[in-house]
Amino acid sequence: MQHSGERVCLGDQEQLFLSLAEQLTRPLLQIAQLAELGAADDLETTRVHWTMAQLISRSSLQLVENYALSLRLQGKVMPLSLEPISLSSLLYDTAEVLQPLAQQYNVSLELDPGSRMQPVLADRTVLQAAMTSLGQVFILGQAEYDEPSVVRLCAHRSRYGVVAGLYGTALQLGRDDLRRAQGFRGRTREPLQRFVSGPAAGVFVADSLLSTLATRLHVARYHSLTGLATTLQPSRQLQLV
Amino acid sequence: MQVLLIEPDRVQARLICEALHRQGHVVAHAVTAQSAIQMADAQTPNVVILELQLPRHNGVEFLYEFRSYPEWLKIPLIIHSFVPPQELAQATTAYQQLGVAKVLHKPETDLITLCGAVAGVVAPR
Repeated sequence: MQHSGERVCLGDQEQLFLSLAEQLTRPLLQIAQLAELGAADDLETTRVHWTMAQLISRSSLQLVENYALSLRLQGKVMPLSLEPISLSSLLYDTAEVLQPLAQQYNVSLELDPGSRMQPVLADRTVLQAAMTSLGQVFILGQAEYDEPSVVRLCAHRSRYGVVAGLYGTALQLGRDDLRRAQGFRGRTREPLQRFVSGPAAGVFVADSLLSTLATRLHVARYHSLTGLATTLQPSRQLQLV
Repeated sequence: MQVLLIEPDRVQARLICEALHRQGHVVAHAVTAQSAIQMADAQTPNVVILELQLPRHNGVEFLYEFRSYPEWLKIPLIIHSFVPPQELAQATTAYQQLGVAKVLHKPETDLITLCGAVAGVVAPR
């Protein structure tokens, strides 16, 4: 069930990237599974290393998968499934996925899903993939600082809708960072200056995924923190419930 | 428990076999749909794990053929595939009718989850 015949809406470059992403998932999955087997039966000292290898390969696999998902959606290989979803449950699930990575990098992950938040209209898989990619960026970005750091996953209301975003205490991403990440779309190709290594790709992937939901990433402030967020429209379908 | 694993990637098949062996299962591995039918004929499995992306005949063709034999109608089958769940969601009813017990997306499924799914679908009711 390869999709090559159906990629009519993708350009040559995107088709190549999608094929590359799909091909990369295989060795990454093999490494993750190999590490999982190693972690299950090895000595205590090497078990730590296997677990780390498993975590790193799983995170990379997630990023590549999320990128492939954004391409499939853009190329209309896969349809969107819009439905009213609970943002608090989505953020909770995202935090659960990100927790092992945060723990590995000594970053504490905090969740503030807001109270009595209305359901939003979105594709759950796509939105969670976007928040996970963004979460990885924040965790890896925070880990490059010496001070103990916190990443917050938050949701709050604004006059434009419901805002879901990530905020970091050490690394505070701003307008320039977002502009540069969006520049990965084949325009400026500038690297993100605040990152030593390459987690900026996660911002690009998150933004691409959100664009399929007709929304984008924007810079947001939450209490004293600056971060990246997206604004979603409440689902009118469930407002009377 | 006799498990029939239909997996075209030999490296991944080795890893899955190893994980299932450790749980006490006996695993027969097939690379193609055709060899899977022959293996099931030689030794009826208690559960089948199927990747949909197979060389020559794809997994869906296997599924229809496998279920066309009355003696294999009740054997639980798990789809463990690279095909994204959103694409499979459109065929949920068809898969239910074909007796698919569980659909697992490979990149999101670790080995322990797969082993848990095998134990879950063959658990005595």
